[in-house]
Amino acid sequence: MNPLIFTTILMTVLLGTMIVMMSSHWLMIWIGFEMNLLAIIPILMKKYNPRTMEASTKYFLTQATASMLLMMAIIINLMHSGQWTITKVFNPTASIIMTSALAMKLGLTPFHFWVPEVTQGISLTSGLILLTWQKLAPMSILYQISPSINLNILLTMAVLSILVGGWGGLNQTQLRKIMAYSSIAHMGWMTAVLVYNPTLTMLNMLIYIMMTLTMFMLFIHSSSTTTLSLSHTWNKTPLTTTLILITLLSMGGLPPLSGFMPKWMIIQELTKNNSIILPTLMAIMALLNLYFYMRLTYSTSLTMFPSTNNMKMKWQFETKRITLLPPLIVMSSLLLPLTPMLSILD
Amino acid sequence: MMTYIVFILSVIFVVSFVGFSSKPSPIYGGLVLIVSGGVGCGIIMNFGGSFLGLMVFLIYLGGMLVVFGYTTAMATEQYPEVWVSNTTVMGVFLLGLLMEVMLVLYVLKSEEVGVVFKFSGVGDWAIYDTGDSGVFSEEIMGVAALYSYGAWVVIMTGWSLFVGVLVILEVTRGD
Repeated sequence: MNPLIFTTILMTVLLGTMIVMMSSHWLMIWIGFEMNLLAIIPILMKKYNPRTMEASTKYFLTQATASMLLMMAIIINLMHSGQWTITKVFNPTASIIMTSALAMKLGLTPFHFWVPEVTQGISLTSGLILLTWQKLAPMSILYQISPSINLNILLTMAVLSILVGGWGGLNQTQLRKIMAYSSIAHMGWMTAVLVYNPTLTMLNMLIYIMMTLTMFMLFIHSSSTTTLSLSHTWNKTPLTTTLILITLLSMGGLPPLSGFMPKWMIIQELTKNNSIILPTLMAIMALLNLYFYMRLTYSTSLTMFPSTNNMKMKWQFETKRITLLPPLIVMSSLLLPLTPMLSILD
Repeated sequence: MMTYIVFILSVIFVVSFVGFSSKPSPIYGGLVLIVSGGVGCGIIMNFGGSFLGLMVFLIYLGGMLVVFGYTTAMATEQYPEVWVSNTTVMGVFLLGLLMEVMLVLYVLKSEEVGVVFKFSGVGDWAIYDTGDSGVFSEEIMGVAALYSYGAWVVIMTGWSLFVGVLVILEVTRGD
């Protein structure tokens, strides 16, 4: 793509999310969402083949439907309150419709079906932008309307998302689909605590973005999109096998690593609010997630995965240099002792 | 009948929306869009917005829909689908029509309708003289306010449209 146009379109994606996060008028928020959606389509279609076109079409259709539902909720809110500010949603119907629309944008169950298919059809870098940056805008709106969200709907969607994210990722060998199901499960964790303590949602979002960024950059570094291809990294850069191990276990939520922090805080917050069965179920279902992360680490760093002898050499011209990778790896694994600092997110 | 003109126009509006949502060929969709644009203009005019109604006719129908019609005429197929040519299209059209008829009967019969929001039958659709807004017309003042206090909205929508054109060109250009 022409570099000038590519820069313009990328900046428009950023601008769209910024408008959503900083506006106080519902119409501007909707305009921000539309700008974001419109500008990310050519980024998803960077490589021009039928698979990316299909993925971009699916993404566009689901997100446009979600924007329309959001507009309807905005208008119902306008009818019942007479004003456009985003402090509180005044009508329960509008609140439910808005929650569903934002759940469609995030990829929560039962609207999760587009996430694996779209993530699989696009390149790794586009998938990275899709799974990290695109989650910021809907989550910021959910944060802002969190006092008026119907608890039952949100918790049902959250728990089902954790279940689907764990269960659906079990049969996958394609790395992008694994990351997509991991995204669905993490969104479930984030929205489960939204009504109780929205600060923890922001904390989880921050740590999730760091870990997903790290994982995708490790995949980009070794140019691998399948488990089989990832299992050959021991031959190319043996250090990244250890880094993949650490980051994946952090994503699974194991204690000395930073991925444990949001899960711990969320479970603590939920038990403080006298719901004990729910966090138990959530923690048990997170084990499904941990299982397929561990399967990835098993095939990548703990064993030499069986393959024919001439597949063991990975061909690449020059080593991709990702400057951001070392600090990201450090942040996504060693952040746990800094847990008391999460009060700055208020 | 004149008191219920907005209600009648809104029914025609919904029916024409059903007409193009049942997905005949785009040419016929454009035809129904013209009808819906005209009827929408009538609805706006009944609420006192003569300027906005004329905007709909001029810019929407006379600008955007004309360009749409030309591009569709260039890309059309030999036997375009009408509403009666395909069972699916006709089925969806009849289903939408049926739902609208049921809704209209419900509104006409009952005192109060509570679908998503409550309104009391057909009475709510009639236009009353809602007080004196003075010498000026409210909706032209709204347009003027868009260009003065609402400059940020104009900038954002203008940028969105510009990026929309860039995106469409980028997507159709391909490699």
